[in-house]
Amino acid sequence: MFKHLFKLIWNKRKQNFLFLSEILVSFLVIFAVFSFLTYYYQNYSKPLGFDYKKVWSIYYENGELTKNRDSLAIFYENLNKSLKSMPQIEEVTFSSGNFPYSDSFMSTGLTQNGKKFNMVSHFVVGTDYKKVWNVSLLEGRWFMPEDLVSKNKGIVINETLKKAVFGNTNATGKLIGDYDDKEKMKVLGVVQDVKSNGDFAPAGNAMFVQLDSGYYRDTHNILIKVREGADANFESQLYKFMATSVKNAVEIKHLDQMRDSKNGVTIIPMVIFIIIASFLIINVALGLFGVLWYNINKRKAEIGLRRAIGASGNSVSNQLIMEAMILATISLIVGCFFAVQFPLMSVFNIPASAYFIAILLSVIFIYVLVLLCSLYPGKQAAAIHPAIALHEE
Amino acid sequence: MIRLNNIEKVYRTDTVETLAINGISLDIAKGEFLSIMGPSGCGKSTLLNIMGLLDEPSKGSIKIDEQDISRFSDQKLARFRNQKLGFIFQSYHLINDLRVLDNVELPLLYRNSSAKERKLLATAALEKVGLSNRLKHFPSQLSGGQRQRVAIARAIVGNPQIILADEPTGNLDSAMGNEIMDILINLNKNEGTTIVMVTHDESMAHKTHRLVRLFDGSQVQ
Repeated sequence: MFKHLFKLIWNKRKQNFLFLSEILVSFLVIFAVFSFLTYYYQNYSKPLGFDYKKVWSIYYENGELTKNRDSLAIFYENLNKSLKSMPQIEEVTFSSGNFPYSDSFMSTGLTQNGKKFNMVSHFVVGTDYKKVWNVSLLEGRWFMPEDLVSKNKGIVINETLKKAVFGNTNATGKLIGDYDDKEKMKVLGVVQDVKSNGDFAPAGNAMFVQLDSGYYRDTHNILIKVREGADANFESQLYKFMATSVKNAVEIKHLDQMRDSKNGVTIIPMVIFIIIASFLIINVALGLFGVLWYNINKRKAEIGLRRAIGASGNSVSNQLIMEAMILATISLIVGCFFAVQFPLMSVFNIPASAYFIAILLSVIFIYVLVLLCSLYPGKQAAAIHPAIALHEE
Repeated sequence: MIRLNNIEKVYRTDTVETLAINGISLDIAKGEFLSIMGPSGCGKSTLLNIMGLLDEPSKGSIKIDEQDISRFSDQKLARFRNQKLGFIFQSYHLINDLRVLDNVELPLLYRNSSAKERKLLATAALEKVGLSNRLKHFPSQLSGGQRQRVAIARAIVGNPQIILADEPTGNLDSAMGNEIMDILINLNKNEGTTIVMVTHDESMAHKTHRLVRLFDGSQVQ
């Protein structure tokens, strides 16, 4: 029967072109949606790697601060002490502008045995950065003040970078070259991946460098972890204190709000995409339903004939559903050919696994869609009275 | 072979009730070639559909090969039609998107026969009707007479005991009609197939063993 149906479909390929095209287009749209959804889900299901709750960021203009390096170091030391002395503040650290959920991005390259590792997120952080974020250490240790005077600059790398550079071996104590391999840096420790660009973005390769006094002139951000009870009154006091200290504009942000905003950048376009795709799929479903319905009405005489020569109502219904499924399979083969190019060519830097899962989900989705759209026309075909159908031309 | 007992068929709509067959009883013996005649709308095709188990009578009973088919399920009726009955229609009812050989193989698809066996039987059936050189043609590439011969091959491919022909020569000129009639007569004579044929053509009807005339749903001869 399968061969017979295939022959019938092949001989009617021109009439089936619309159906085939509809399925192909829907598959490609669904594949795009599922690729992103799978990718986002894969990222979402990975641990966040840090604790953003009760963390505030303080941005300040530093133009009015002294340019003298030593005086600036003393100023920051005093500022750190003053902030820590506030009962509502648990931890304080200075940071480059690209702290988690900020809109800043800073990257560098690394070299290991002649191999380049580009687009490594580069975080310049204070000694207490780990405490503020509650980042988990997987091996080695975090920075200590004496690391600033060691022969090789100490760095802490994240898990993804460690795997990329050192595989499954221990990274602590090993040296790694900077982007042009002129300076060797020593890996002090490895921390768990930190999803600093939101719940749906990958951690990527990241390295942390300790903030030294030479970087103070470029420092604009303080991160604080506050205790329970740090309210709007405290925020107002903190604002005044900071504005007085830096003699310039200050902005305080709550990291949980920044996180929502960062996640929104992913969620909102995705929701819009899903809504548009849903409308398209509804239209395609109605189209498929219409095409199948039209085909059945056009093939009433054939249905009557098949009933006369030995087909039961069920076998007529099954035949029509099978025909729709075979047509869907032909479209899916073509669709999969195009879809497979995405993981093969690493398009959009999405992992191949996300693409393959998306292909599988899209294939299942299309089969379910076609099955649902063909069930009712199939049932109607089964109900066609053979004696009446045989009088149709 | 076929026993119709007091068959009635009523078509009902919300407002109208039409009596298409009015108490027809008929016995058709095995190997008989029977023709049914009558004016348009007298119930000939309805009666043939009832005999072919394509339609149910409103009243009365029908036995084929000593089996009371009134309690058959849809599945069982389909199997019965496939194994015992062959149909020939005035408008051939060939599937235009299938080649001649595939059209003839159709009834065998609803049996558990292999592709090889189907091809063998279909080729043999087409040889019987003189179309062994048209296996790969599409119906649209054939003349009316050839199409009807394909339809006959399709009807006989499963070796049915009964052939029901609804005006098989109705769309053909007299020469072609005679050719088709000769094939049916040979089938009846050589294979012993029981044939019931609805026709408007008196000369064709006279070539059969028995003629039944209908008028307004009743048997008048």
